[in-house]
Amino acid sequence: MTEQTIRTMQELIDGCMGDAAPYCQAACPMHTDVRGYVNLIGEGRFGEAIALIREKLFLPATLGRICAHPCEDSCKRGEVGAPMAIAALKRFVADNYDDPAKWDTAIESEKPESVAIIGSGPAGAQAAFDLRRKGYQVTIIDRLPVVGGMLRVGIPAYRLPRDIIELEYSLLKAIGVQFRMNTHVGTDVTMEELAESYNAVIVAVGAHTGIMPPVPGHDANGVFDAVTLLRDVSMTERFDALGSRVLVVGGGNVAIDAARSVRRLDDRVVHLACLECNAGCMPAHDWEVDEALDEGVSMHQGWGIVSINTDRMNAVESVTLKRCISVFDAAGRFAPVYDDGERKTIAVDSVVFAIGQKVDGRGLDSLPRTARGHIAVDEVTLQIPGTSIFAAGDATGHSVIAVEAMAEGRKAARSVYRMFRNENMREDRDFERAYKTALETEISQNYVRTPRVTSRLRRASERVGDFAEVDLGIEDAQALAEGGRCLSCECRNCVKECLMLERYTDTCPKDLFQKILNGEEIDPVIPYSCNMCSMCTVLCPKNYRMQDVFMEMRKDLVAQTGGKSPMKGHKAIYMHQKLGFSKLFNITRAASPARVAPKKETVR
Amino acid sequence: MSATTRVFFPGCSLPSYNPELVEKTLAFLKERLPGTGSILKCCGKPTKALGQMDLFQERYADVQQEIDRLEADEIIVACQSCYLTMKACSPNQKVTSLWTLMPEIGLPEGMTGIGADSDITFALHDSCPTRDESDIHDGVRWIMRELGYEIEELGHSRGLTRCCGFGGMVLPANPELAREIMERRAQEAKSDYMVTYCAACRMSMAIGGKKALHLLDLVFGGPWTSESTYPEVGANPIHAWGNRYRAKKSIKKILTTV
Repeated sequence: MTEQTIRTMQELIDGCMGDAAPYCQAACPMHTDVRGYVNLIGEGRFGEAIALIREKLFLPATLGRICAHPCEDSCKRGEVGAPMAIAALKRFVADNYDDPAKWDTAIESEKPESVAIIGSGPAGAQAAFDLRRKGYQVTIIDRLPVVGGMLRVGIPAYRLPRDIIELEYSLLKAIGVQFRMNTHVGTDVTMEELAESYNAVIVAVGAHTGIMPPVPGHDANGVFDAVTLLRDVSMTERFDALGSRVLVVGGGNVAIDAARSVRRLDDRVVHLACLECNAGCMPAHDWEVDEALDEGVSMHQGWGIVSINTDRMNAVESVTLKRCISVFDAAGRFAPVYDDGERKTIAVDSVVFAIGQKVDGRGLDSLPRTARGHIAVDEVTLQIPGTSIFAAGDATGHSVIAVEAMAEGRKAARSVYRMFRNENMREDRDFERAYKTALETEISQNYVRTPRVTSRLRRASERVGDFAEVDLGIEDAQALAEGGRCLSCECRNCVKECLMLERYTDTCPKDLFQKILNGEEIDPVIPYSCNMCSMCTVLCPKNYRMQDVFMEMRKDLVAQTGGKSPMKGHKAIYMHQKLGFSKLFNITRAASPARVAPKKETVR
Repeated sequence: MSATTRVFFPGCSLPSYNPELVEKTLAFLKERLPGTGSILKCCGKPTKALGQMDLFQERYADVQQEIDRLEADEIIVACQSCYLTMKACSPNQKVTSLWTLMPEIGLPEGMTGIGADSDITFALHDSCPTRDESDIHDGVRWIMRELGYEIEELGHSRGLTRCCGFGGMVLPANPELAREIMERRAQEAKSDYMVTYCAACRMSMAIGGKKALHLLDLVFGGPWTSESTYPEVGANPIHAWGNRYRAKKSIKKILTTV
């Protein structure tokens, strides 16, 4: 094979998008096979769908409810209508077709190495799951009496019922993960003791301390942070220190969660103030804002806080707000601009700040920290350099949503695994988080813009009375229709067109060409099954010339077979060609004058 | 004898399919374009397709020698593989497709509108080697329009046409796959009748289950209707070589008639 042909093949292998992940899968930090399970659902194969999801995720019912679903943001259906309701579909099969009796509880052979994981939130749980699957001795240590971390004490029960967390987390116990609950690192056990008694430690403590801004009155009686409020409400469904008229400050999911939780605590008046001037600009999802409005939360969008005004007892009396004109500067940095002339004062007796969270550093004094208070780790390995201590999740600042935290936990687990096996900790780690897929597909505007499924919600008047789940999910027929909306983004244009490529490649031509470059034996019938019609090239977004490679392979085979094709059937062609060039069937005649002078010659 | 300025090169598949069409085409060209000679030979594309490059070079040199012997500066072809092969290998000659030539020189006498009353529609299959030659696609459609036949445009046509299944010498190497490709292509047509402008494509569409004709069948015959008798799938090799021999005789006959 010529250098040129090898170069052509290599170029094709490098550039072909046939095996490139769909946009949704690449956007998912856990790389869930979204296209795969969504299409199974569209075909009514619900049981297979949940099995496929469980290959990557052990918390499908949880994520189906609370995942911020970056997959949906990247979904190409959004270009022709609304994106796929991916999370709702996941929840649907998890709720209705997941059978705990069928959960895979197998682990690899028991290994002696032990790992302590601090924190049972999504990062710690995923790390524990992956390492226990490999057979390591895993112990989760948590300060709280309940598992789940922020899933359990950050996200309100009306969005994520606690029995779902308990059920899905039970798989950890089933595979043999040990739990030490109500255990405070720093007092009950020290970091040093853990580092000494375990072969590795993963710190996944999350970010459980609310940030308070330095506005006048922030230390008044009646000022709280949302993290504390949500934790207490999650544990007790009470927060007695709160007054009857409450202002929540912040525009993100946590602010909405706090406001809606407070609405469920007796009959309280709840205001929410945020800098962003409308729901579309708020970091919270639009639908969350809508649900909060339905539940009677008063929105003050486009307002920043000036001061918390107090009475003589230093108790909150009111809050003064000023108009916020813009939140970010031209470079996209947070730099709010206000109109000081436009102010208003709201009479409230409590303020809840939901403007950010930071790492609760208690017990972690010995660990290096970044300027912003996160645990400082190696970006690639998540290891604290020079130690057997790793960190993952919100505690490192690498994640802000649950599915990201899980991916970080998985990444830390992979590092620990490699460390135990003395493997290279750094190679082949480029695609462990969300990434940009190499796939480029054109979305036809001719697709019918079928509506996105919407799930049933409990009535707002009813749901503010308790912490039971708001969203009632979707039903079979809805799931079928929704699954059918998937565009199944992939390239494989050539394989879908060409019967020969379909027959002789696994995914796309690159796998065949890779085999050839690897020196594997290729059946000669393959290159001799190409019609040389160029349709592959016509349809290839990169115009790769597959037929040229097959032609070169034919030339090689002919050279190896003493000048002949290796195909038996081609014997007929030798005869055909021999006769086609024989005197018997050839003739060459010069022109002879036409009998009649042509009439139309001038036309030419 | 007048000087030969161009040659008609009927190729292999057309003479094997129907020597009468070779004869009629040559006679027609002779009438409209005096100075037309002819060479009956293969262009060597099958040899090239198998990957026998040295042998192909040798064989094409034969072809070139004959062209040069006649001092022709233009080659008229009726086969799209000949078109591409000769265009690439005979840089000093102009290669012209019969399908772009006909709109210039007109249809044979009396054929205009012959199909206007036909009760059938021909699904038109474009040849894949010339998918980028829109002049050929236009010429073929001009011919069909002038003849008066209704055509069905296939979903895959012109630049996006599909191979008939015969290309690349797949049929002898992998007959089962080739048949599958032929059937898929033929099934794209809603009509039971198809027209192609390559004799190998015609055979493929016949294998695929259609009543298939070569465009020259329409140019020199008809009118074709649902009552007509359509050619068989393909001649057996002995019959095909007999046809080829008859084509040779025809060329001899046409070009000795003064």
